[in-house]
Amino acid sequence: MEVVHKPSPELHNSSQKVIVRLENISKVYNMGDVQVKALEDVSLIVEKGEYCAIMGPSGSGKSTAMNVIGCLDRPTTGRYYLDSVDVAGMPSNELATIRNQKLGFVFQQFHLLSQLTAQENVMLPMIYAGVKTGERRDRAAEALRRVGLGDRMKNKPNQLSGGQQQRVAIARSIVNHPVLLLADEPTGALDTKTTQEVLKIFGELNASGITVVMVTHEPEVASQTQRIVWFRDGKILHSHLKPEDLHQAVS
Amino acid sequence: MDLFESLKMAGTTLLANKMRSALTMLGIIIGNASVIAMIGIGEGAQKFVEDQVNSLGPNILFVLPGSPEAQNRPVYSPQTLVLADAEAIASQVPSVEAVAPMLTASELISYQNRNVSASITGTTPDVLTVRSLDIARGRFLTELDLKRNESVIALGVELAERLFGDEDPLGKSLRLRNISLRVIGVMQEKGSSFGDNLDLSAYVPVTTMANKITGQISPYGLQVTFIALSAKNEDSMNAAQFQVENLLRLRHNITDEDDFTVRNQKDIMAVLGSITAALTLMLAAIAAISLVVGGIGIMNIMLVSVTERTQEIGLRKAIGAAENDILFQFIIEAVILSAAGGLIGTSIGISGVLLVSAFSPLEAGVSLGAIATAVSVSGGIGLFFGVFPARQAAKLDPIVALRSA
Repeated sequence: MEVVHKPSPELHNSSQKVIVRLENISKVYNMGDVQVKALEDVSLIVEKGEYCAIMGPSGSGKSTAMNVIGCLDRPTTGRYYLDSVDVAGMPSNELATIRNQKLGFVFQQFHLLSQLTAQENVMLPMIYAGVKTGERRDRAAEALRRVGLGDRMKNKPNQLSGGQQQRVAIARSIVNHPVLLLADEPTGALDTKTTQEVLKIFGELNASGITVVMVTHEPEVASQTQRIVWFRDGKILHSHLKPEDLHQAVS
Repeated sequence: MDLFESLKMAGTTLLANKMRSALTMLGIIIGNASVIAMIGIGEGAQKFVEDQVNSLGPNILFVLPGSPEAQNRPVYSPQTLVLADAEAIASQVPSVEAVAPMLTASELISYQNRNVSASITGTTPDVLTVRSLDIARGRFLTELDLKRNESVIALGVELAERLFGDEDPLGKSLRLRNISLRVIGVMQEKGSSFGDNLDLSAYVPVTTMANKITGQISPYGLQVTFIALSAKNEDSMNAAQFQVENLLRLRHNITDEDDFTVRNQKDIMAVLGSITAALTLMLAAIAAISLVVGGIGIMNIMLVSVTERTQEIGLRKAIGAAENDILFQFIIEAVILSAAGGLIGTSIGISGVLLVSAFSPLEAGVSLGAIATAVSVSGGIGLFFGVFPARQAAKLDPIVALRSA
């Protein structure tokens, strides 16, 4: 479903491949009689290889933006091209395939299945992708080694520390070779030390070419990214904030 | 996602919650066990009735006094069936092999200080053929005994044991009312027929019975309780019945309503068979209700499970599970639960049936068809009651599901 798209000049400022292209996205929730505008006319481009943090006060629309980018939610209006595919109006079954093939998710609460081992958890996305058992096992092992858990493959989540569980979740998110890794407050449930461990892995993954978009409210976390997108009241206030300018922007 | 993967995934989930899975299956287990047990016992009862009817003797017909209508009336009809009728049947109906007039009474028999209540039958030597009886020791009644009104008696094996214990009964004298009867033979073991223990019966000449014991002489002749007769073979049963009816109508000068009834084995079998079949159906229907209740139990637990596993469902959707994948997963879990419960319940039901066969006269058996039906029905129940919770799961919004903590 390749869509030939004529890029708008103000958004097209690089020759690199565009992974995320949001064009005039609005998201309106109907709460009874009241309409709540979670996103208002948001346009955003994330290019291949970027490491980008989405920040903003609570209620600013950053989570909604994340859900739209993650194809978990459809925008009310506007267009969204993910890896040049128009996904804004896709039926839910096709969106499931897109999430499976092109996206990797990391959540604050890890969301590992407690009855499965680390390796089986990492194998899960490949089951829905229809990968054969043997290959699944190999690729899961490889992904776990990549996040430094090669010796913990047979452990169940309750036998792992929080940091280790989050690393399993990261391994799960990259195992289908996504074009975009989405992390929703990935360090929110971790202490300072393990936060650094996890961020180091994100840094390494990004260095190896994976595009990362991360929602966070911790400036220390955001400061390790290359670019900060600042949301307020459902709009993007700054789309290319440098981490070192963060302090200034918050005030 | 293929079927094997789904089965494996469902198996892992169910094994992770062993206690809950077991309790969920319980309803189906009980339902299946009772269905199987009821059908098995019902089939056993039907076989039992069949055996009982066959134990009456091969190709047997009964001639009872009173019209077929009078059989259902609580009015005492005049006793017109007599020994001469039996003799006429024996000599004039060619398709009849043997005829035994039966004059029965329940009497107290004593030997020394032992008293036993027994069913005494006055009959002829032909009863051996008609009812497939045989003598074990001594001899049976003879035509001579009949002619001479001999006070002789042949005892059922159990009756002989109760009266004489280890003593040899042959040649000993018994008292019945105030008549002395000489034991001439002991019958072979025969067992019960319609609750009537033939081994506790005794046989005396029909003439002796009428003249000395019951003393019933009707104006028509020597009255009998009923006449048992056997046809030459199975094919001649209808002919025999027809001929006997015609002969008796002639002899009794019947113009409108018969004063006798001829019953054959098939009639009896048909009536009793339909009763046991209805009982079996009723029991199985009651058991089937518990199967349905078991299915509702599965639906309940699956609904709870969907609520509890909201986050898992959200996560699965986020990493690429389509609605159908989730739907399928939950349905398969329900079907596995109910099919496994069905198998376990069936085994328990079969064990119950085997126990019943071991400790009761019912030779209960379970047909493969009954097992296949029970297991597939319980699988179907899982499918039916699993669909609703599975749809609930499939429709969950991943965003809401992931956020619920």
